[in-house]
Amino acid sequence: MTKKALEVRSLTKKVKNKVIVDDVSFEVEKGEIFGLLGPNGAGKTTIIRMIVSLIGRTKGEVIVNGYHTDEQFKKSMSEMGAIVENPEFYKYMSGYKNLKHYANMATNEVTEERIKEVVKLVGLENAVHQKVKTYSLGMRQRLGVAQALLHNPSLLILDEPTNGLDPQGIREFRDYLRSLTKQGISVIVSSHLLSEMELMCDRFAIIEKGKLIHVSSINQLASQEQFVPTVLFEVSDVNQAFELLKEQQLTNDWKVVEGQQQFSIKIDKETIADVNQLLVSKGIKVYSIHPITTTLEDRFLELTGKGEKGGKNE
Amino acid sequence: MISLIKNELTKIFAKKASWIYIIILFLAVIAVGILQQKVFDLGPSDPNWREDVQAEINEYQKILKENPEDEWTMELIQQNQSYLDENIDPNAYSSWHFMNGTVIGMTMLITLFSVIVGSAVVSSEFADGTIKQLLIRPHRRWEILLSKYIATLIYSFSLLVALIIFGYIVGLVLFGAGDFNTKFFETTLDGYKLAVVGDQFVLKVLYYLPSLLIIVSIAFMLSTIFKSQALAVGIGIFVLFLSSTLGGIIVMIAEKFAWAKLLIFPHLDLTVYALQDHILQDVTLPMSLLILAVYYIIFMVLTFIFFQKRDIII
Ligand SMILES: Nc1ncnc2c1ncn2[C@@H]1O[C@H](COP(=O)(O)OP(=O)(O)O)[C@@H](O)[C@H]1O
Ligand SMILES: [Mg+2]
Repeated sequence: MTKKALEVRSLTKKVKNKVIVDDVSFEVEKGEIFGLLGPNGAGKTTIIRMIVSLIGRTKGEVIVNGYHTDEQFKKSMSEMGAIVENPEFYKYMSGYKNLKHYANMATNEVTEERIKEVVKLVGLENAVHQKVKTYSLGMRQRLGVAQALLHNPSLLILDEPTNGLDPQGIREFRDYLRSLTKQGISVIVSSHLLSEMELMCDRFAIIEKGKLIHVSSINQLASQEQFVPTVLFEVSDVNQAFELLKEQQLTNDWKVVEGQQQFSIKIDKETIADVNQLLVSKGIKVYSIHPITTTLEDRFLELTGKGEKGGKNE
Repeated sequence: MISLIKNELTKIFAKKASWIYIIILFLAVIAVGILQQKVFDLGPSDPNWREDVQAEINEYQKILKENPEDEWTMELIQQNQSYLDENIDPNAYSSWHFMNGTVIGMTMLITLFSVIVGSAVVSSEFADGTIKQLLIRPHRRWEILLSKYIATLIYSFSLLVALIIFGYIVGLVLFGAGDFNTKFFETTLDGYKLAVVGDQFVLKVLYYLPSLLIIVSIAFMLSTIFKSQALAVGIGIFVLFLSSTLGGIIVMIAEKFAWAKLLIFPHLDLTVYALQDHILQDVTLPMSLLILAVYYIIFMVLTFIFFQKRDIII
């Protein structure tokens, strides 16, 4: 049996009888990017703080790469590198001195070469000898990643890591995380943005009001059987099309785009071809057919019960 | 542990303020030395001092003949006579007199600067948010706190060493080299006593150490518990400047209420013991040291327990 990168069991945090995190359990596989997804205030940061022992646990246990944090604290801590909320640095020192400071605290030796390597990795070569107070938010974020990676942890924990990064930076960051997992590092990222999780993670957990309400892989979620995509048709006569399709009971979730000869229905892939054939055979011109890819966001809203207000498309 | 302490020292000395305090110390010693030299015209022994003292005695004796009941004059004669008996030039002033009389008084600056730096050592990590990155390393919390405490003490001690070196150099330049073993009359609370100037200086430094330790520890404790440098510095300075006043008041109270002598204030300034053997009838140096030790242990235990248990939410 191979060891998991992280096992979290029944993690619970109560503060003054208020339950902030409620019996959360999950596992992270080696080389996996695992997401913690949830709205602001859901308890993601609190879960992360408990994993890295910044706060006490009311209940539950944390096992990092086989090391139990209660029993083998130092070993388990040296397996982890983390950013909790915004990374903070000693602003009166240079980026390099900050990294050196954390390198000195590692149990394994962190060589000069390793520091250089990590600095290069996050693209801070030019700024690393400047004082941190001159850094932009994005640079601090990257320095944050550098300090988390310095000691070759097997588990990287990043709390809302894309805050302060521009879209270009986010894309690079994503690719970068991918390349890390190729080296066998596992990653936990938290985010309140589903679109981001969708692109970044192999699997993710949805956290709401301190509870883990769903764990799934992105692929699973998109390919669930009951999941039927919405398809948009542009035709010469919408009303006639409606009559035709109604006879065949193909008007599932019928919607008309007002002012335009367009309608959308929920049908699966095979039926798209059938509908097209039917319309064309009855002399209705079909100008275009677009499957509207339902985003994970919609699925997320469905799962968390917020979809009633009417699913929004892209 | 060594690397943790080095890290903390690096951070202390990376702050400009830490160096500014040393410079202030240097300038203060020079300023006070020059002032003393100019105003009191102090300097090395005059070869004809015995004749001068004898002449003074003769003057006083004339006054005494006209006014045989004048106690003050009698005392002056007696004092001058003891200068002659012990072969002590009352006006001789050297680097060691400067050390014993003036430099010792300036240890108050050391306590002040140590309190300021010591309370920032923990509280600034909270203020800057860096504490969370510091505590997710493979080190127990108490180890990290201890490294901070030791670094603070090393800084304090460096200040003291710097003061002694500056003091000696400035004394040497302004007042000339003196013999460490020069005898002199030390003014005490009830008169004067014969002492060796160098011994007296060393004694005062030694008696100063426990109070420095305690006051710095109080500031360190407050900044750890309240996470506020301002509060810790405030109370630290309050303790520093009011301890002698409060100490005096408490000594008076203690004559009525025995428990009052167990309060910390009368014991904070142990340099009193360089002049006299007891504060109150039954309060001697060992007793004061014992009381301080008990307070010290309580402060330290509180500080470390508090830090160990605290949830870090930044
Ligand atoms: N120590 C605490 N005391 C009281 N409430 C807290 C404490 N820590 C977190 N909370 C509350 O718990 C909830 C979860 O916070 P957090 O974990 O930061 O959420 P997220 O990171 O998902 O945005 C928030 O409502 C927050 O106000
Ligand atoms: Mg958060």
